[in-house]
Amino acid sequence: MKFIKNHLMFILPLMAILLGIEFYLVFDRTTDSYEKGLKEGYTMLVVTKKPVTLQKLKQLNPHIATLEAIKRDQIVSEVAKGVSKESRKEILAALPYFYNVGLDSYLGTAALEKIKKDLEKDATIKRVETFGSSYSSAYRLFAFIKFLLKVFIGFMGIVSLFLIIKQMEIWKYAHRERMQVMEIFGAPLMLRAGVLFKVAIFDAFIATLLTSAVFLYVKFVWAAQSGIDLMMQKQDELFKMTDMAILLGVALLLVIMAVYTVVFSSKGVQE
Amino acid sequence: MSNVISAKNLTLAYDNGRKEIIKNASFNIKKGDFVFITGPSGSGKSTLLKSLYGQLKPKEGNLVVGGRDLANIGSRQLQELRTHMGIIFQDYKLINEWTVAKNVVLPLMIAGYSLDVQETQAHRLLKHVKLSEHADKYPLELSGGEQQRVGVARALAKNPVVILADEPTGNLDDYSSNVIWDLMENACQQLETTVLVVTHKIPTIFSLPYRHFIIESKGVYEVH
Repeated sequence: MKFIKNHLMFILPLMAILLGIEFYLVFDRTTDSYEKGLKEGYTMLVVTKKPVTLQKLKQLNPHIATLEAIKRDQIVSEVAKGVSKESRKEILAALPYFYNVGLDSYLGTAALEKIKKDLEKDATIKRVETFGSSYSSAYRLFAFIKFLLKVFIGFMGIVSLFLIIKQMEIWKYAHRERMQVMEIFGAPLMLRAGVLFKVAIFDAFIATLLTSAVFLYVKFVWAAQSGIDLMMQKQDELFKMTDMAILLGVALLLVIMAVYTVVFSSKGVQE
Repeated sequence: MSNVISAKNLTLAYDNGRKEIIKNASFNIKKGDFVFITGPSGSGKSTLLKSLYGQLKPKEGNLVVGGRDLANIGSRQLQELRTHMGIIFQDYKLINEWTVAKNVVLPLMIAGYSLDVQETQAHRLLKHVKLSEHADKYPLELSGGEQQRVGVARALAKNPVVILADEPTGNLDDYSSNVIWDLMENACQQLETTVLVVTHKIPTIFSLPYRHFIIESKGVYEVH
């Protein structure tokens, strides 16, 4: 019982870190296309008196990446139903030119306003509509959620790391006598701390397996039954075998760091 | 014969040098010497022994053991020096989670000997201290005298240059004590191992010529 308790006290905080990392990886993968859509799906509307080229707009502001003309005939046919051919020609002649303008990256409201000002400096451009507020709020909400997730995972990681080091100190205390005897007989640090390394590495494997098992369950059982479209569509993204290698790598790195921290922090027995 | 241990104006202290235990002690111990160190309780006998295996650095003066100056020794060099020492404690300091055989070969394990060599040596050493039948037992299954014999076997495992023993018979009955003295006498006589024993009382039956140091009023004096 004590043996299991000792190991769980180490495995659980380690699992908390690994779950956090895996959760972030999965979140990042499953929301990647949504984020891309927010970034790339955005266009601003530019209304001009005369036809313009992409080159010309790029000269006005370097963030402009794409230019797509909206067909004027379609606009006229929509607004001038039942109007004579002559009148339709007159409307077409008077109608300005409409363009969807895409940007090279995600930009904040202030940058969008600057682009608008840059474009409106040109006499041929009549109006620029950025749709800044709706674009910005959707992306900002997404970025905020992602940021909160990072902060939460980071905080959880720090707390868990302290718990791991604490548990390691308890182990070290439990093995103190053995380590002291070995030291007196000239055993190098690695040999003295060998037992801590063995236990910690064993627990790192267990924590990785348990974390992987949780996500494999989510992927193959829970996601299929959840009825959540995103989960069902992105089932493959929920856990990849490469994740297991990442988790194991992180777990080993953490436990080795923890053992070194504990062993070196109380190095030497000089009185 | 060359000095295995040499102290010159040695001062040992605790509490960051505030509490002096030994002051200005000078002595030399040669290869093959059997030395008893006696003195009243709290006089600094165990402190002197600790300094000899590098657990306590000299506050002042020189202390050279096996050619190494312990005042200025690095941790790697100290580790290396300790592999040439056999240390025996009053409370045995055996590793209770290990079998008797594994405890005995600890110095060989540290030196990186193969498992085969360790096994052979464990057998030989346990036979030497008459504990062959206890090889697979754990220390707490043995009596105090038997545990100390394991401690002596461990100290002898790598044919050390020097054996440092801190009250090795302090907790033992007369029979067990005599067995321990015999083992240490044999090591000194047959292998020319230098043996330093801190004790309250020199054994009455002791066949080997020995040197006797007394620690008194912070000084270390040889009794002639």
